[in-house]
Amino acid sequence: MKKPKVLILRSPGTNCELETANAFKAVGGEPELVHISELGAGKKKLMDYAIFALPGGFSYGDDVGAGKVLANRVRHTLTDLRQFVRLGRPVIGICNGFQVLVKAGILPSSNACDQSASFTVNDSGKFEARWTHLRINTQSSCLFFKGLPEMIELPVAHGEGKLVLKSPRHLEDLKKTKSIALQYVSEDGKLLGYPHNPNGSLFNIAGLTNPEGNVLGLMPHPERFVSLHHHPNWTRQTYRKAPVGLEMFKNAVDYAR
Amino acid sequence: MSGKVAAQNTYVLEVRLRTEYTDAEGAAALALLKEQGLTSLKEARMGRLYEITGALTANQAQQAGKDLLCDAVTQEFRVVPAGAAPMNGMNFWRVEVWLKPTVSDPVGATVVEAIAEAGLPKPASARCASLYLLSGRAMKAQIEKAVAKSLANPLIHRVVVTEAHP
Amino acid sequence: MSQLAETAADVMPILGKSAKELKALGAQRHLSLSDAEWAAIQAHFKAVKREPSLAELETIAQTWSEHCKHKTFTSPIKYHEGKKTRSIKNLFQETIVAATEAVKKPWCLSLFKDNAGVVAFGKKWALAMKVETHNHPSALEPYGGAATGVGGVVRDILGVGLGAKPVLNTDTFCFGRPDYKGGLPEGAHHPMRTMRGVVAGVRDYGNRMGIPTAGGGIWFDDDYRLNPLVFCGTVGVMPQWAVKKQVKPGDLIVAVGGRTGRDGLHGATFSSANLGADAPSSAVQIGHAIQEKRVLDALLAARDKQLYSSVTDCGAGGFSSAIGELGADCGAMVRLEQAPLKVSDLDSWEIWLSESQERMVLAVNPKSLKALEAVFAAEGCELAVLGEFTKTGRLQVMHHERSVVDLDMKFLHKGLPRVEREAVWTPAPAAKPAGGVPKKMGEAIREMVANLNVCSREWVIRQYDHEVQGGTIVKPLQGVRHDGPGDACVIWPHAATGDMNDFAAFAVGHGMNPEYGRIDPYWMALAAVDEALRNLTCVGADPSRAALLDNFCWASPDDPKQLGALIRAAEGCRDAAKGFSAPFISGKDSLFNQSKDEKGKDLQIPGTLLISALAPVPDGRKAVTMDFKGVGNALYLIGRTNDELGGSLYHKTLGRTGGEVPKVSPPPRSTASRRCTRPPRAASCSPRTTCPRAAWPSAPSRWALPASSAACWTSTKSRATRASTPTRPCSSPSPPRASSSRSTRSTSPRSSATSASPPSPRWSAASGRPRPTQS
Repeated sequence: MKKPKVLILRSPGTNCELETANAFKAVGGEPELVHISELGAGKKKLMDYAIFALPGGFSYGDDVGAGKVLANRVRHTLTDLRQFVRLGRPVIGICNGFQVLVKAGILPSSNACDQSASFTVNDSGKFEARWTHLRINTQSSCLFFKGLPEMIELPVAHGEGKLVLKSPRHLEDLKKTKSIALQYVSEDGKLLGYPHNPNGSLFNIAGLTNPEGNVLGLMPHPERFVSLHHHPNWTRQTYRKAPVGLEMFKNAVDYAR
Repeated sequence: MSGKVAAQNTYVLEVRLRTEYTDAEGAAALALLKEQGLTSLKEARMGRLYEITGALTANQAQQAGKDLLCDAVTQEFRVVPAGAAPMNGMNFWRVEVWLKPTVSDPVGATVVEAIAEAGLPKPASARCASLYLLSGRAMKAQIEKAVAKSLANPLIHRVVVTEAHP
Repeated sequence: MSQLAETAADVMPILGKSAKELKALGAQRHLSLSDAEWAAIQAHFKAVKREPSLAELETIAQTWSEHCKHKTFTSPIKYHEGKKTRSIKNLFQETIVAATEAVKKPWCLSLFKDNAGVVAFGKKWALAMKVETHNHPSALEPYGGAATGVGGVVRDILGVGLGAKPVLNTDTFCFGRPDYKGGLPEGAHHPMRTMRGVVAGVRDYGNRMGIPTAGGGIWFDDDYRLNPLVFCGTVGVMPQWAVKKQVKPGDLIVAVGGRTGRDGLHGATFSSANLGADAPSSAVQIGHAIQEKRVLDALLAARDKQLYSSVTDCGAGGFSSAIGELGADCGAMVRLEQAPLKVSDLDSWEIWLSESQERMVLAVNPKSLKALEAVFAAEGCELAVLGEFTKTGRLQVMHHERSVVDLDMKFLHKGLPRVEREAVWTPAPAAKPAGGVPKKMGEAIREMVANLNVCSREWVIRQYDHEVQGGTIVKPLQGVRHDGPGDACVIWPHAATGDMNDFAAFAVGHGMNPEYGRIDPYWMALAAVDEALRNLTCVGADPSRAALLDNFCWASPDDPKQLGALIRAAEGCRDAAKGFSAPFISGKDSLFNQSKDEKGKDLQIPGTLLISALAPVPDGRKAVTMDFKGVGNALYLIGRTNDELGGSLYHKTLGRTGGEVPKVSPPPRSTASRRCTRPPRAASCSPRTTCPRAAWPSAPSRWALPASSAACWTSTKSRATRASTPTRPCSSPSPPRASSSRSTRSTSPRSSATSASPPSPRWSAASGRPRPTQS
């Protein structure tokens, strides 16, 4: 079967690229790690790939602001990204990659070039790594979540993950366009505060998609749940479903085939 | 190092979180200062200062501030005028924590690189400082002492405390 | 040869000076050389009929520093124990090395001579581990000191063999109590501040590097208030072909990574000096994690293309030790003007000795240079050719056509005079437990659970990204709500191997308990090894394949009592290694951890030994965890419980002193006993201890639950994957030990390249990598 080519973007400080590549490989994709400077120099072209992934990490140290410097480079270098999105090809930004997509103005809506959302320091004031319960917006058309149960679990690990919007009006827009893809919830599905919402994100938003559903940005790390043995309770044998992260990558690869 | 392309200018850019967003870092700083006995402080907001030296024009410095150093949604920035006079701030204080010149500044290094990559003249140097804007009654000496025991380490930092505008 | 130092300012006249004058000169230049060392230097230069240059003196002082040469562990000692006196020629050789040689494990691939110890991990791969300390810098500037501590040990792993990919960081700390209310001398940080800064430093550097921090622990004791301990460990994965390195004359000396600045000068010599208010600000640096990440990415890419033949990192002593070490067996010619600088006004000796972070030195065949440059350029990482390795047997350094160093490698690495020290160990008279106030068991347990050395470490652990690289399959926090302690982490390094179908994993556990050491450091050492191995067993690792790392942190060895205790501990390590048939693969010592308190009295840290143990988990899917799995599961206590509550938390809670510390059985024999080789039993074979019947249901939250109490309760797992696992050995009494389980630290050989005694492992310094400021 055809193996869709996946561009996994690297930059100084990207650090989740190898496990992201392994995840794509496991579901039949053909990942390639590409440094932003190779794209800048024209040695590689985004349009040659079927899927674009921006993995987690601390691009440029997150100095100045999480994902900020890389977002600027993406704006200047990846001028064909909006076209890539318009063609309906899957794009996923994980953690730092999500921050980059938002600050580069690709999410929540890639049609408006302006940045309408951003991230601030977690309300707890510090970096936090923990597993979270999440609810998928079943009304959203996000291709990555096809066939997944509404309630899932994934780990987060970030210090600057509190999603904020430019104005309250934007929240209404997001609801209308079904762009809120993923929310932090308690185990029984309620929108509660810390620690269920690990960073204080507005409306418990954990992930955004574009209205068309081919771009997903999320703070949790699906590449850290691609084997049953990643689940924190696997030794208790209480978790028996398929690993959610793997399903997400599989959806993208299947879609791109 | 290489060259006398143009005159070297120095700009200090100040980036702050807009007041409508909660400032978790500022809150953490306030708690630390209170631990040091500054219980009369009411609020601390945190920002960043970037001292950029290089062949940039004033417009280019503005552009660097707007596009690179400041978040379009959550932050605002200004170029701090040189030799700004101390204000009669009464209960408002401005605390700048700079790394001493002998200490390497990794954030400054990133800023130099980012400015160059954005097509602006590569600065000769950039230094970054933490900025704390405090409100509440306190004496300057008290603040200096408390900062030296919490937000700064006199071994590697240079601290500047001035009265400020609200 | 020497047209050395035409410039008068560079020459440091020492010939004809008195010992007193030399000492004054040393103090003025922060050289930390003893009288005997000065005499040896004087004699050497008399023989070569010239005065040394400043850069030469600096090079010698740093190469001979305690930090790099581990003089205490390798020099003769007259040891008095009770009425008996014996001579120790080389403590390191006679304890750590001797035990490792006795147990002879074919899976040990590199011991004591490189930047880290290396063991086989399956047929194709190898695991490298090293644990360093960064105590003095962390005392001065907790955030920067701890961050650069992480950076330094990560570079050790990048600099072992041809470089390994770091896949796990571990961090163990000892602090004064955060609620300490007493006085502090001028300039000392409060323990609370130290703790916050250290945790933040480890967090910011480790998280940025993308290495999971999933092991370690914290121990609180007010005697650490002026001298906090910060142990940083790293485990790396490398292909077995990359374990060997070799420098050939004609290879280029290539520096990569950060630029050279005035930072960190005198880190090595400073680390051996008493902490004082006059600490130079240059001794402390702020790390630049992303710079190091660039080095990591570029270096491993270049390794896989085989573009260099040897590598080491710049630690303490900077270029002088890195190049001196790589070229120890051949010679080197360096041209300092080639080095990229942060500031242009550096003196020759400053460039040569600077300890700027994030730099490494490679030996490169000239034919590979172009390809190497391309790889580093692609990552945005600077590279400069500094000179070449030669056949001269000399270390030669030029700066703008001026010779600044021209030293015989042999003198540099073997000329250090050995001075005999005195050591005394007076066994404490057997003391029955005495004093204190009896408490109801329930009350005592509540207090113990709330004790700083037992309570939850979740606050710290959650700040570390412990799951990056997607391989942490047994996490540092366990239980239904992921908030309970774990014994050890298990890492499935698929991001490094690229193979998600290979479930081979490894575990790292720790053992440490300074309280036992206050009673008897010998038994402290055995208990620490025992605990580390039990922690491994409890997650399903194979203890017969366990490799050990030792990290000694002690007060001044010039105090014969301190040195005596150190010898006891080292002998405990020897006997434990033989008894459990587990080799040491690396280690490190940090001495002189004492400072003047606010009254001007010396405050010494308690003798502290951290044991880290590393073992494969052949199939990660069969790992087990310590949390109780379900109602109705049986609990088993394995091993005998003796009256050994000395040093226990229970005693401390009651205010009771004296008593016997747990004596790990099987009493280790001098021949390696086979007893523990079968995995299932191994760890459990040391039953020691008493657990004061206190059972607390799942031991609450300590981050690495020490062997102590929690360990007494075994939960049968609902799935009996391995017979061996369910039994967690019982461990001991409840001295909380802080640090145990979580981390792995790597071993570093104390080796140093410089000392040349070839055949056996040496722990010399140079290669051992001193990292700059580390203590």
